[in-house]
Amino acid sequence: MVVNVGDVVLPGECLPEPRSNKGVVILGPGLRRSEDDSKGLTVSRAGVLCHKAPNMYWVEGHAKRYVPCKGDLVVGVVAKKSGDQFKIDIGSAEHASLSAFSFEGATKKQKPDLQVGDVVYAKLVTAHREMEPELVCVNKYFKAANLGPLSNQGFLLNLDSRLIVRLLDVQHPLLAVLAKTCAYEIAIGMNGKVFVMGRTSKDTMHVAEALLAAQHHDNVTT
Amino acid sequence: MSKLRDSVVSTCEKKFLLNLLKESKRLDGRAFNEFRDLKIEFGKDWGSCFVSLGETQVLAQVSCEIQLPKSTRPSEGILYINLELNPIAAPQFEAGRQSDLSVQLNRILEKCIKDSRAVDLESLCIKVKEKVWALRVDLNVLNHEGNILDCASVAALAALKHFRRPDVTCDGENIIIHTYAQRDTIPTVIHHYPVCISYAIYSNGEIILADPSLLEENVSEAQLMLGLNAYKELCGFYLGGSASVSADVILKVTNRAAKRALTVIDQLKEAVEQDDLKRQQNEEIGFQHSHSFSKDLSQNGNKLADILNAWRTVPTKKKKTEVKPEIVEQAKVEPIGKGNQSAVLLPPETENSPWNVSSDESEETENSTTNKTTNQNNKQEIMEVSSGSDSEEDQVIVLNAKNKMKKTKTKTKK
Repeated sequence: MVVNVGDVVLPGECLPEPRSNKGVVILGPGLRRSEDDSKGLTVSRAGVLCHKAPNMYWVEGHAKRYVPCKGDLVVGVVAKKSGDQFKIDIGSAEHASLSAFSFEGATKKQKPDLQVGDVVYAKLVTAHREMEPELVCVNKYFKAANLGPLSNQGFLLNLDSRLIVRLLDVQHPLLAVLAKTCAYEIAIGMNGKVFVMGRTSKDTMHVAEALLAAQHHDNVTT
Repeated sequence: MSKLRDSVVSTCEKKFLLNLLKESKRLDGRAFNEFRDLKIEFGKDWGSCFVSLGETQVLAQVSCEIQLPKSTRPSEGILYINLELNPIAAPQFEAGRQSDLSVQLNRILEKCIKDSRAVDLESLCIKVKEKVWALRVDLNVLNHEGNILDCASVAALAALKHFRRPDVTCDGENIIIHTYAQRDTIPTVIHHYPVCISYAIYSNGEIILADPSLLEENVSEAQLMLGLNAYKELCGFYLGGSASVSADVILKVTNRAAKRALTVIDQLKEAVEQDDLKRQQNEEIGFQHSHSFSKDLSQNGNKLADILNAWRTVPTKKKKTEVKPEIVEQAKVEPIGKGNQSAVLLPPETENSPWNVSSDESEETENSTTNKTTNQNNKQEIMEVSSGSDSEEDQVIVLNAKNKMKKTKTKTKK
């Protein structure tokens, strides 16, 4: 079946002639190169086919699972502590591992004090379908750069991946509008988990409510 | 590769929830004794029923076949109840493997519905010691947002009530099953409706929440599950967890649950009747014609605007001068989406909002009498402006800008 941009697509459907820029087409999640036709694309996930000029294509759909992707910033919950390794629940099929030494300034003697149930903001360094995903809490200069354990005062939300992508867009007005009425801290993970902390629990609650309501509000824009 | 994962509840969620409960608030804004919306829908087939309790969704399907009766009860039909927790409901559930939770839920449902003899099994008998109907209720959890049991019990009962089995005649040796077209179908006889009502217990019985959501369920100290019918008869009782709850607390909760059971059963019966009526009048039936889905979307669409409004009104009363420029700035932000999305940014049209000129004025008049005269002037100007320009948006922005200027002027006068 041939599909167009903006259509609801199902796995197996194909897009025969994607627009390319000098022969290059950028593929986002949910698409792969067609096996029969070297120029065409095959859909591998159900959702809405999106296109951004000149040559970017991806499929947006509702998903409760997270498929780890290298370089993603994620929010996770410590599920297990074994020696110098933490097992972090990031919503993927398998728990991700996080070494106690991959925090800023961590040494054998000075390790971060993380308990089961604590929330961390981390970056995925390995994400392969055959391997356990691996997280770090430092950037390439071994600095924390906002990564690391998050406070226990806030609240953790699970949001739709579509809203997450939109929130990360600098032009998206929602966070700015919310910021005008109260101060809050937010950590947005690509895995759909979002950590929110306001000055009071009431503020936290309101930000959380607004984000949850915004999930149903966003239309798919192409 | 795939290991059984338990869902982990983060400490921040736990703390936040418990703090809220201390302030006698719940995460979703419900009262402690408030239940989520219960929706019952029927499919095209007999005995296919979809029940949603808030976001928790269960699909039930009843099927029947002829079997050899149990030797201990040769004149009774057989009822199977089978609840399945698929990975579709929540990622930690595994397909085709019984978890502790599913065993527990199955057992409670069986106790509640089978052991209380809600379904008349003797009427399912075709020939004693040889052939009886076996009814099988398959319950599939489609989404897990807490309190599967309540949802599943309603789904099972509604599906059983809705179900019709084909008629059977016996000519000596042979048994003939008539199709739905040949003969009228036979409804299941149900004596009473034992529905399950769940509660979550916190701080040794001081806080008791009705219809706990997923997070509330995970954080709770103990869970109380009650099976009750419309006659206030207790058909099932399960208290799990580690809280020491006194007997009178349980008695009190049971009384409350009985009231809830009555409303649920009424709703269940009405839903079945409505569906019957629709079938008689040859109206369109089935899941594709139930409108709850589209309704849901439109309701949620307005929710964000509501929250933002309700929230904005609080600071506007306190710091008026600060809010004004804010709103003007906000108007400059271009909504990037089409349709619904733009509504996020559009000025809310409630009385409290600073966009509404009339309410703005009334607030100001309360403040001081000296402002009054300037306000009247202001009003006249507004009139002029509105007659001049074409687009509504422009007007408002101009207005506010002027208001703002006026305000600063009055300030300097003071």
